Amino acid sequence: MYRFAHLSDCHLGAQKQPDLRELEFEAFRMALDDALQNDVDFIIIAGDLFHSNIPNMETVKRATLELRRVREAGVPIYVNYGSHDYSPSNTSMIDILESAGVIEKVVRPIPGKRLGLEFTVDEKTGAKITGLSGRSRTLEVDYFMKLDRDALEAEEGFRIFLFHSAITQFKPADLADMESVDLNLFPRGFEYYAGGHVHRSGCYHEEGYGPIVYPGTLFGSYAGDLEENARGEVRGYYLVEFTDKVREPEFREIRPAEFEYIECDVTGRNSQDAFSLIGREIADHDVTGKVVMLKIRGELSSGRTSDINSASIRERLESMGARVVQINRYGLSTREIQKVRVVESDVPRMERRIFREKLAGLDIKNRRLMDEGDSIAVELLRRLENEKAPGENRSEYEKRITEDAEDVLDLDLGGDGT
Amino acid sequence: MEAVGQIIGGETAAVLIRQKSGEPVELGDLLVAEGDGYTILQVKDLRYRSQIPQGMRELASGFNLEGYSGDVEFLEPELRNYIIAEARPILHVREGEPLIPKRLPRFFREVRRIREGDLDFLEKPRNPVFLGHVRSGSKVLDTPVYVDAVDAITHHILIPATTGRGKSNLVKVMLWSLAEMDRVGILVLDPHDEYYGRNEAGLRRHPSNNVVYYSPDAPVGGNTLTINLRSLRPEHFEGIIPFTQAQEQAIARYYNEYGDEWILKIVKGEELPGVQQVTLNVLRRIFDVILGVYLDDGKIKSRGGVFRERGGESTIKDIAASLEDGRIVVVDTSRLMGEAELLVGSVISAEIFRRYQQYKADGKLRRKPVIGIVIEEAPRVLGKEVIERQGNNIYSTIAREGRKFNIGLIAITQLVSLIPRTVLANMNTKIILGNEMAQERAEIIGSASQDLSDDNRTIASLDKGEAIVSSIFTKFAVPVKIPLFEEFIESAGLESEDSEDEEIEFIG
Repeated sequence: MYRFAHLSDCHLGAQKQPDLRELEFEAFRMALDDALQNDVDFIIIAGDLFHSNIPNMETVKRATLELRRVREAGVPIYVNYGSHDYSPSNTSMIDILESAGVIEKVVRPIPGKRLGLEFTVDEKTGAKITGLSGRSRTLEVDYFMKLDRDALEAEEGFRIFLFHSAITQFKPADLADMESVDLNLFPRGFEYYAGGHVHRSGCYHEEGYGPIVYPGTLFGSYAGDLEENARGEVRGYYLVEFTDKVREPEFREIRPAEFEYIECDVTGRNSQDAFSLIGREIADHDVTGKVVMLKIRGELSSGRTSDINSASIRERLESMGARVVQINRYGLSTREIQKVRVVESDVPRMERRIFREKLAGLDIKNRRLMDEGDSIAVELLRRLENEKAPGENRSEYEKRITEDAEDVLDLDLGGDGT
Repeated sequence: MEAVGQIIGGETAAVLIRQKSGEPVELGDLLVAEGDGYTILQVKDLRYRSQIPQGMRELASGFNLEGYSGDVEFLEPELRNYIIAEARPILHVREGEPLIPKRLPRFFREVRRIREGDLDFLEKPRNPVFLGHVRSGSKVLDTPVYVDAVDAITHHILIPATTGRGKSNLVKVMLWSLAEMDRVGILVLDPHDEYYGRNEAGLRRHPSNNVVYYSPDAPVGGNTLTINLRSLRPEHFEGIIPFTQAQEQAIARYYNEYGDEWILKIVKGEELPGVQQVTLNVLRRIFDVILGVYLDDGKIKSRGGVFRERGGESTIKDIAASLEDGRIVVVDTSRLMGEAELLVGSVISAEIFRRYQQYKADGKLRRKPVIGIVIEEAPRVLGKEVIERQGNNIYSTIAREGRKFNIGLIAITQLVSLIPRTVLANMNTKIILGNEMAQERAEIIGSASQDLSDDNRTIASLDKGEAIVSSIFTKFAVPVKIPLFEEFIESAGLESEDSEDEEIEFIG
């Protein structure tokens, strides 16, 4: 009997707040420790190991040490690109870590008129791993459409298909906007389908396919994820035992901290009453040592939203022993100012909604731009967020950013970035 | 002018035209009489006339048939024997403006066949749905016929036809135009899996990539139709599945108690105070038969895989979103039971209706595409008996109120007579294909937007692919010839399906 661990969406470097960043890393370390304690033969990370293709060096350093520790324990780590790891110029940290022999990327295309994929064979167990990386949907579907499924299905042995995409059939209702691919685009008959991208865990059984598994995010990269943690969503990874078939995968919970969720609806109150209500609500919760996610929502009858002082609420919670305080006031508005139209706590979704609203108001004839404009804009925004890497000079940085932008916009600016 | 006949009498409803010899006139032919602009007449009936008394004609025929003489002939036969066409003035055109004819063309005026330019007033609307070319009898002109998608769909379209008269072909041709528009989203509930063209010519080949396909057994590139049982609410069954009062009450209790898990609890046989075991068992059986869900070894299983406990949570939202993006969504329901098929449509239509009601309330409706719902065998949901027995359903609601929310039906039926007059009256565009059944023709004629009282015989004699478009958006009932879909898309210059043979450039 062999074992492997299936992680995904670690999003190292996503959290900006030092305490949360520490917890994010703690979750990663705990998962690797748990996997090693369970004598896994290999580990799969199904995309989005880092939150950015070039994360900051501190994050890389710590992650590398952890990954090397696992590697030195004789446990190989197989990865694919997640949508956050992807780089058009192959300068993703994933490639660098692969070059250093810390991890192994298993997406190896065989070019042709159909897209063939080479298998990576795990030396110890003989498991054959292959798959696709996460890209923007149009390209992803294109790759899936052209996949040489017959060849993949004809391969014998214990096969794992690694991917970083939502599957249409298994998308949660509240994530209906999420781009996805249909299960019928996947090769059939693999013994295990190791998924990433969807931040919630799930194990699905479909006729003709081995278990299709999403571990979900390990800690969470956006406020929405953390809010879900606080509302009871369990995070972790899957531990999988197999011989020639897999046993029912076991979900291993990873909890680097306790969370507390507080929601306060201030609709119809003036700002002063609302502030008092929040105070009373907070007092009812035991927040000692916990990560507190406070959501304030509703429309104030009068007063300004800025009258509700986040700093003093935070101080109060910290004085009650809260470890980290996150206050979500996206849903807070007042009659005295123009109504906020976009109410989302998840940053990319909020960005997408704003772009979509804007696009809807424009008289654009270009069908593709109308269809994909929001995705293009969000992707562009994310690429432009990439910071200058250590050792990278300004012109290299500019060149990289320009290449990224060219890739997103599907343009050729002539190579010199002018 | 190449005259084909001359007006020799008649009245407003039937102008009598003597046909010129050697210029055969057909039933349905469009003829033109010039004068103060020109009048377009349509031939409604044809009959023989002769200057020779009946007795003489019978005698001559006897000679001929009995072989008494081979050279019995009439003096100046083309003058003495002729055909009279009864034609109705359908339009008067003055300075390019089509007007309802209020006077007769001049007596003894010669008439000619219609020419392309005579119908220049048939302009291409802003959102053109191509239906075919103007037909004059069995001759086809080069003049295309369109209806405006936004106007026609929101005012509902009825396609009455008996089997084999080309209704699927017509719908495919219409959907082809609609796939090019982003102002119109169309939901096609396809009980015969014939529109997408899984194995033959169909919308799959549309170059816009604007056609989305759902099927329980979707081919690569299509979407697998899966619907989570939690997506179903009791109102989706209203007017679709006939429940007894006791069953309805039980459903209400389960829904109040368990919310979106109500079907799961019923299928699992979870008892609830006030619900008799026998009622629960019947409901379980109904869901087993209709939805294909049953309990096996404590787990809920799905026969056919469409309605299921896990997965398919976002399907309805995905479909609604595609429709809101102005796409055509074809849902293959050929593998579903009749009720399940209607239920799938009911769930999607209800979601769209709910959304559009909200958009109207928020003042956003104007920015949203119009939605059309293609429903085959419409009397299943719009029939008098169905509505009387089972009450209104989402389709009848849309038929009555959809226009307020920019949602319309494209209803296809063989049996118009089963649909209530009130619903028929709301269907303001009717694309009438051939129909042999007198009762059905009478209903069609009775509810048409133009006076088709003289067209009884014409409708009966419509050949495959021939139709009459009667709409409040056309000045007259336009006779059309619908092209064969395969030839139509070929003329659109589509490349062969096997043409994309480039090597894949892979990044990632």
